[in-house]
Amino acid sequence: MLKVGKLGKWTIYIVLTIYVVLIATPFTMIFINSFKSLREIFLSPFSLPSSFNIQNYVEAWKSANLFNAYINSFLISTLSVGGILVLSSMLAYVISRYEFPFRRTIYLFIIVGLALPARLAIIPIYVMLDNFNLLDTRTGLIVVYIATGISFATFLMKRFMDGIPKEIEESARIDGASPWTIFLKIAIPLTRPAMIVVGLVNFVGIWNDFFFPLIIINSRNKETVPLAISIFFGEFSNKWQLISAALSLSVLPIMIIFFLLSRYFIAGMTEGAIK
Amino acid sequence: MSIKKKYILLFVLPALTLYVTFVIYPFIYSFILSFYRWPGAGARTFVGLQNFKDVLFGSFGSEFRNAFLHNIYYFILVTILELGLGFLLAIFLVSIVKGKRFFQMMVYLPNIISMILVGFIWSMMLNPQIGLVNQILNHIGLGVLARPWLGDPNLALNTVIAVNVWRNLGFYVLVFTASLLDIPRELLEAAYIDGASNFKVITKILFPLTLPTFQTLSILLFIWTFNVFDIVYALEGAQAGPFRSTDVLGTLFYRTAFGGLGSSRADFGLGAAVAVLIFVVVMPLSLVYAYIVDRRSRNA
Repeated sequence: MLKVGKLGKWTIYIVLTIYVVLIATPFTMIFINSFKSLREIFLSPFSLPSSFNIQNYVEAWKSANLFNAYINSFLISTLSVGGILVLSSMLAYVISRYEFPFRRTIYLFIIVGLALPARLAIIPIYVMLDNFNLLDTRTGLIVVYIATGISFATFLMKRFMDGIPKEIEESARIDGASPWTIFLKIAIPLTRPAMIVVGLVNFVGIWNDFFFPLIIINSRNKETVPLAISIFFGEFSNKWQLISAALSLSVLPIMIIFFLLSRYFIAGMTEGAIK
Repeated sequence: MSIKKKYILLFVLPALTLYVTFVIYPFIYSFILSFYRWPGAGARTFVGLQNFKDVLFGSFGSEFRNAFLHNIYYFILVTILELGLGFLLAIFLVSIVKGKRFFQMMVYLPNIISMILVGFIWSMMLNPQIGLVNQILNHIGLGVLARPWLGDPNLALNTVIAVNVWRNLGFYVLVFTASLLDIPRELLEAAYIDGASNFKVITKILFPLTLPTFQTLSILLFIWTFNVFDIVYALEGAQAGPFRSTDVLGTLFYRTAFGGLGSSRADFGLGAAVAVLIFVVVMPLSLVYAYIVDRRSRNA
């Protein structure tokens, strides 16, 4: 965008490279340390591991309860995102397409939730889940995630649907299709790009969330990945080789998915928050 | 007509019910709870404004003020660093062609990792015994700069903020990149033809035209700052040590409501009072944000 000369270009590339090194170093460190023995971590911090021993991984995988945690995180994130997409696309659709009483009021009411920190309401949420016998359950966590995801998803999908011409739906309506059929057969397929963005943003957010599992989940067999790592970090403090392996195991899969889908991520995340 | 009404209810009610039950109602419920003393089980005792008195002026007063001031400090520093550096790096990114996608991807990478995991990774990096940060400093002869980054009460909050910036900066870079790319190229061309320097182009064109982005982001940052919890919890624990020097309202709220070892009085009523006070600070900005978002989407 700027017109920069040779010197300017060099400066830009040097600054960006330094920044990338700053980002890559911590990840590289845990990855390298995950193959070392504790002795090696202490004595030769800058050298590569003497052997690529995967023993740390085996031990961390077992003692951090990661298999269980991965399944829980996957179940909770997927079902929550599914719920958010179904409920929000329905709401967004009628707000975008139909005139009805309180339409704008309902929309504004939903929009207010965009920047409302749901964590502040954790005490009543805790008490209510307790009353519904949903405390310390994955279902309880999913219900909370769906409810707190509705604002953002509805907002983004409604705005996207506003941009889709209504003619196709009009002709289907004249042919006698019910609103439900039109929604399923015409509106949903056309909204797919927005749904991918909403799905991805929510999936990452829920996968990464720590606060709600910390409060709502108590049993080890229901914990999510961030919670499992947090407990492991407390129990195995100072066993840095195992902590490194556990951290690598929790970070690498997300990184791989990110590198594969970075186009959607970058479009989705920035789109979501600001525009 | 009646069929349409039925459909509208069918489409609106599921989402709206869940939203009201688990988002709106809990906020109202918090207000009610804040007037009670309640350890979470058993009977509640109505105590009027006592919880607010305790939190603001009483036994919790100094702790609350301490955390609140940390939040304000956090907000100011994070805003300057993340928005300032984000804007600058975004200008760099849009001014190059080769490697642009690679840099975009790398810059954004830390943002997709859970804040709590980022905290644990950095608590290793900053560990006084095995931490790479001090080891590198010692190695290159700058050993005098080695510090107990997380253990020194005068440094700890700044360290926490630095880790926060490390993780989140990429997000702001990409938002500014998107907003810079919306600026019509002809404006820049015309300025260059008139002999404007890069500095002039940045200060007279790029900055004013991205000002709305600065505004929106600062509002969000203010709200998000009052949500800070994970990073402090990962680096310094629920006690926000050393000596509460990294305590923010998020960790204080957690301790008052859910105990978190060593809190003098874990109580849902007291916790709710803390939540209500944070809410009162944050709510006006949440409304401003909703207003901006609504106005913008109607103009689009």
